[in-house]
Amino acid sequence: MTITTNLAEKHGEKPFSRRPATSKLETALTLAAGAAISIYGVLRRDWFGAAFAGGGGYLLYSGMSDLRRPYQGRLRVAFTIAKTPQEVYDFVRNPQNWGRSLREPMFEHNGDGQVTLRLGKKKNGLDFKSRVELTDEKPGEYIAWASADQRFEHRGVVHFKKAPGDRGTEISVAVEYKAATGPITHSLASLAGLNPEQLLREGLRQIKQIMEAGEIPTTVGQPVGARGLRGTAKRVLYHERPAAEMQPQRLAGD
Amino acid sequence: MKALCWQGTNKVEVERVNDPVILNPRDGIVRITRTAICGSDLHLYDGYIPTMEPGDVLGHEFMGEVVDTGREVNRVKKGDRVVVPFTIACGQCHFCKHDLWSACDNTNPNAWMMEKMYGYSGSGLFGYSHMMGGYAGGQAQFVRVPFIDVGALKIPDGLDDEQVLFLSDIFPTGYMAAENCDIKPGDVIAIWGCGPVGQFTIRSAFLLGAERVIAIDRFHERLKMARAGGAEIINYDEVEDLLAELKWMTGGRGPDACIDAVGLEAHGTGVAAAYDYAKQRMKLSFDRPTVLRQVIQACKKDGVVSIPGVYGGVLDKIPFGAAFGKGLTFRMGQTQMHKYTERLLKHVQQGDIDPSFVITHRFSLDDAPEAYRMFRDKRDQCVKVVLDPWQAPKAA
Repeated sequence: MTITTNLAEKHGEKPFSRRPATSKLETALTLAAGAAISIYGVLRRDWFGAAFAGGGGYLLYSGMSDLRRPYQGRLRVAFTIAKTPQEVYDFVRNPQNWGRSLREPMFEHNGDGQVTLRLGKKKNGLDFKSRVELTDEKPGEYIAWASADQRFEHRGVVHFKKAPGDRGTEISVAVEYKAATGPITHSLASLAGLNPEQLLREGLRQIKQIMEAGEIPTTVGQPVGARGLRGTAKRVLYHERPAAEMQPQRLAGD
Repeated sequence: MKALCWQGTNKVEVERVNDPVILNPRDGIVRITRTAICGSDLHLYDGYIPTMEPGDVLGHEFMGEVVDTGREVNRVKKGDRVVVPFTIACGQCHFCKHDLWSACDNTNPNAWMMEKMYGYSGSGLFGYSHMMGGYAGGQAQFVRVPFIDVGALKIPDGLDDEQVLFLSDIFPTGYMAAENCDIKPGDVIAIWGCGPVGQFTIRSAFLLGAERVIAIDRFHERLKMARAGGAEIINYDEVEDLLAELKWMTGGRGPDACIDAVGLEAHGTGVAAAYDYAKQRMKLSFDRPTVLRQVIQACKKDGVVSIPGVYGGVLDKIPFGAAFGKGLTFRMGQTQMHKYTERLLKHVQQGDIDPSFVITHRFSLDDAPEAYRMFRDKRDQCVKVVLDPWQAPKAA
């Protein structure tokens, strides 16, 4: 079985894999920093210098790799949902369900192939608009897509397969993407809670939670005591809102 | 409302916090009438469970009256008197449908944290670290109970709070620990740790048909309570060689099943215990698996090791050769609460057991910090503390 996810030929462009993954600026910065740190390290001629040279060497290596690397990233995430393949397919196929599938709505679909991917919270978030085309589809079995513009490239396949026994459906998503960033930006994004695999995993998990339990479990808005400095700094990690937003709308028993 | 908040190792404080509100359609709000301090709360108090944060509301053993319900709650009504199990379950996933409630897929909002540490995530728990869901606990005046229809156990009239409160954790936990031993007529069961869970394990083992139960501890009041429950007792501080003593008491066979009702803060004697202390003090490990080593060594061939005691991290110097050589079976895990609550409520109703026997101290919520210290240090023969969130504090 061959599933098509390639739109390049149709639009008369270079295939997905032939374009460099990172922006030229980031690659140039990585190479320059790597070279500078390596030279400084070698000139020191002591053990600290050796460590600097090692670190610089790594940056040089990753900068060179960015020039050659065919893909920025591949993601593979699978979940088992206690529903039939057709039910899961129908849920995923309905764009109206997409906005529900993350704590902070992440996808918006204008009904005409235009998908907005939002990273971060509603007001302060970054929007990535991307035209998406379904490239192949078999109802109840798989959906394949590819981005139709080159700014933020991605393509992938969602599979729906009956799970063994009475477990329901294995939904698996395989994505290739090429954002205009290198490993450094990628690491920074992960620290800020924007790791692509984590986002995909949480998105699928929440589809499972809505389909099985009818709601996404949350603690946002529950009572907490004084968090102190350290706890306040970690609020991002626990998806907590600032205290001002956590005033109750109504008291229990009202 | 008032709530007991964790503020760091060895520090808990009663704070004024917002009342809980309905956040999801299947939530309910319970006005708490009684709540208890669990032995596993001491692991939090002593700072051995990762991902606790200052301000987290503690407590996972509680009961009370339902005062509010979300729009998709049908079974439970306002005014119902309920006991709430400490594990939260959705009732719809594969695990819930197979009676494996504490493995629920859909109730831990921070599942990714647990996946990073353990590979897969279990259900969310009340008041037990962010890794386990970060849910505010029930050592407070009110609590929000997610999926209240699935978990809450309605309490019929005629039973006191204190008779049913422990259906929220320690009675089912002790019962499952005993049930995991596959007790057959004639079996001898050895139980390490005569704290509250150990006490319920002793009585559950007899309920399930054990011939003899041997209880091991070092505190006289706990051993006395174990003996009152029908167990033979060993004070491990007073015997030269615990394993030899057990062999002697079981005709050289060893106990048919050994239960570790102690967990990660075990006390012990000898080189191995000193090694565990040193490692834990240096923060190289969360756990002191002294008892786990003993149960493996002591268990008879083809026996069962049942572990209701909590472990958190990576353990070492575990005699796995002995476990393999004797063909032991290991059973453990968070209690499948929802499987046991109805069954055990019947035992209480029939008078087979009155769980309030284990209570030694009663405090107001305001006095909870003192209660934690007392329970941790086992002062004043303290075995189990119950808190009343609405009682006025003792005059200072």
